[in-house]
Amino acid sequence: MNRIDKKFIELKEKNKKAFIGFITAGDPTLAKTSDLVHALEEAGTDIIELGIPYSDPLADGPVIQMANQRAFKNADLSVSSIMDMVRAIRKSTEIPLLYLVYINTIIVYGKERFIKDCTEVGIDGLIIPDMPFEEREELMELISETDLALIPLVAPTSMDRIAKITEGCKGFVYCVSSLGVTGRSSEFHEDIKDYLKDVKSKTNLPIAVGFGISNKKDIDVLSDLVDGVIVGSAIVQIVSEGDGDVEIVKKFVRDLTN
Amino acid sequence: MHTKVKICGIKTIEEVQTINNYPVSYVGFIFATSKRQVTEEQVKALRGYLRKDIKVVGVFVDEAPQRVNEIIKSCSLDVVQLHGNESVEYCNKMNTKVWKSIRVKDENSLEAIKQYSTEVESFLLDTFSKEERGGTGKAFNWNIVRGLSKTYNIVLAGGLTPENIVEAIEIVRPQVIDMNSGLETNLMKDNEKVRKLFFKLKEEKMNRKFGQFGGQYVPETLMYPLQELEEAYEACMKDPSFIEEYMYYMKDYVGRESPLYYAKRFTEKLGGAKIYLKREDLNHTGAHKINNVIGQVLLAKRMGKKKVIAETGAGQHGVATATGAALFDMECTVFMGEEDVARQQLNVFRMELLGAKVETVVSGTKTLKDATNEAIREWVRCVEDTFYVIGSVVGPHPYPTMVRDFQRIIGDETKRQILDKEGRLPDTIIACVGGGSNAMGIFYPFVEDTEVELIGVEAAGLGIETGKHAVVLAEGSDGTLGVLHGMKTKLLTDSDGNIIPAHSISAGLDYPGIGPEHAYLENIKRAKYVSITDQEALDGFEMLTKVEGIIPALESSHAIAYAMKLAPKMPKDHIIVINVSGRGDKDTHTVMDYFRQGKQGLEKLNK
Repeated sequence: MNRIDKKFIELKEKNKKAFIGFITAGDPTLAKTSDLVHALEEAGTDIIELGIPYSDPLADGPVIQMANQRAFKNADLSVSSIMDMVRAIRKSTEIPLLYLVYINTIIVYGKERFIKDCTEVGIDGLIIPDMPFEEREELMELISETDLALIPLVAPTSMDRIAKITEGCKGFVYCVSSLGVTGRSSEFHEDIKDYLKDVKSKTNLPIAVGFGISNKKDIDVLSDLVDGVIVGSAIVQIVSEGDGDVEIVKKFVRDLTN
Repeated sequence: MHTKVKICGIKTIEEVQTINNYPVSYVGFIFATSKRQVTEEQVKALRGYLRKDIKVVGVFVDEAPQRVNEIIKSCSLDVVQLHGNESVEYCNKMNTKVWKSIRVKDENSLEAIKQYSTEVESFLLDTFSKEERGGTGKAFNWNIVRGLSKTYNIVLAGGLTPENIVEAIEIVRPQVIDMNSGLETNLMKDNEKVRKLFFKLKEEKMNRKFGQFGGQYVPETLMYPLQELEEAYEACMKDPSFIEEYMYYMKDYVGRESPLYYAKRFTEKLGGAKIYLKREDLNHTGAHKINNVIGQVLLAKRMGKKKVIAETGAGQHGVATATGAALFDMECTVFMGEEDVARQQLNVFRMELLGAKVETVVSGTKTLKDATNEAIREWVRCVEDTFYVIGSVVGPHPYPTMVRDFQRIIGDETKRQILDKEGRLPDTIIACVGGGSNAMGIFYPFVEDTEVELIGVEAAGLGIETGKHAVVLAEGSDGTLGVLHGMKTKLLTDSDGNIIPAHSISAGLDYPGIGPEHAYLENIKRAKYVSITDQEALDGFEMLTKVEGIIPALESSHAIAYAMKLAPKMPKDHIIVINVSGRGDKDTHTVMDYFRQGKQGLEKLNK
């Protein structure tokens, strides 16, 4: 069984919600990323998203854009070196690991090669923010032969699209909390509760909410309605402020997971 | 409903390669006795060349079921199509999906359908013939089966051609159309006929893709608004009052039609082909951009949007959008890279004067590419009351189609004008290509006139070999298939897909991608793409200015420079039309030092 599915079952038995944390691979360095993965896990993170830096991250706000720029300053940064880092991390942890990756990275790296490498190094799922339902068939064919989960994204504007988007997927449903890009302050869409209930009613998969969740208060407001919360830009911001210092990040995440 | 296409009777690698370029859903291999019969071994080999998303259908007539199942396995058939007297039990034995053929003579022919309906996925309706089972090349009376596709999946076959396909679809509304001899010349599938088929299908329903290019690679949040946009746009294009309003502004506000001018001195100077200039430089605001902006802003108004946003490189599209927003009293924000803001102060001021807000973009390379990203991000945030006016034939569907349709007025006029002046179509049309809207606009009405050569000119900057260029399609470039700004197309990227900044002296061509329909036209070899360096473009700029008294935009100068290479080699009765997409007043400041210092310092002009 996929590590993501296993994690959600485990959490359900304990009646807990998943805390999903995001960091950008290579920010500030690949070695630090590896340390941060372990730190996030120790601080109570259940699932980790690793962003693969991309030159044109359409769905990301300034915080993650800057993280990409910092990562690109490392001469050794590439999709291959990120794969190698994951392979090394996988030797010492069973935490579910996902890539947040833009579709162009996958196409140019080679779809078959990318999927093969992901399964080999121990990646459990993919979040592709610019590949909607209509465009996913060509990748779905490759993924369905593996244990990888292609995480479907739904937005407040999805409405009657929700059922078809989530059908045939594994892992969990990523509910984009609000209109806009990642890391904007928490002005959640006014009907967020109805929206999350609607998603919940249309799928059997666990659902997790992300975009603009930055503090304990946000988490408390939303966690009753979902199976997991995703915190990205807020962690990346802390990573940046502490230049990758693991203790600072650990403390920040521990405050959110407790 | 979107009708899928099956092409049947494939025998050769060449035919497979032709098919790979088009949005074909199924190919059929005929295992039964036929002029187009193939063996198990041949199909195994051909399958290796076939695009992966195309499903494979095997065609059989009363073959032993075990044998069919063997072939299903060895050739990985997705579907078997049974053309003989195969029974319901026989169909049940098949280890894959079954399409059962029904030969239609009259209403009674359809009685058999019911008994098969639980065992087969689709019914293939073919023309009845005493002599042959399938492959008659004749059509039947489609009215007999009208409405049947509401109950059953229908694959329509029998004598379908690019000429009758639209009518056939309109009557039968099949799930799949099955094409064979109608696409052949001498028993081989003919690229020209396949191209024509998809052109006709596109007329019937707007395609989301141009072959493998285009599509909608955007965050989920934008999918609903894009659908809303597509619906509104389709409704407007069918509404005579919308077209009338658009044409009114084209004439009385933009100043169309723009002249098709015989450039006598330029022609004589080059000593070859006869050259006409399509004078888009004479439009209000000085370029073709306004055609598209007026169309989109009118559409935005009809959709009840209050605000428009746009991206701009050098500022031409920004100025055009600010103009449209002023004209229709809408709030306007233009996203412009920090570098461009610094270089194009005059256009920044123009936009401000027109009442627009210019948002300086500091992300990424701080140029057009990043301004576009930022405009898309902003659109995601305020999509409920905002319309995004894209300036070229780029972006997610329906933008490439919509922008083309608002620009095709250039080509429609050109066609009328050249017929009027010369009594025939031109031999060659030349236009510069960045994203490619002026080129698409003048090309599109001529795409079906295959005797007209279409040439798109990309910017080679300091030379393709220097790496400082904007060439993705023309010879010598290494354009990569990928995704940028919501579309799949050819791009400049590194090996991990990160976009490499483009370089050109002309900001309008300084784009690391190209409109998906251009990538498609290049792929099916309907248009040719070439490149011109900064230096050559400056020479073209100077020549047209001195010989004709027309200062062209640096973008358009690329098209002029290519004509200067081509025209001398052509006979005097060869007609070339160059699209002078914009006027060069905006560039005089940029090139002033270069000309004043005795044509020195070209590198300084390039960032």
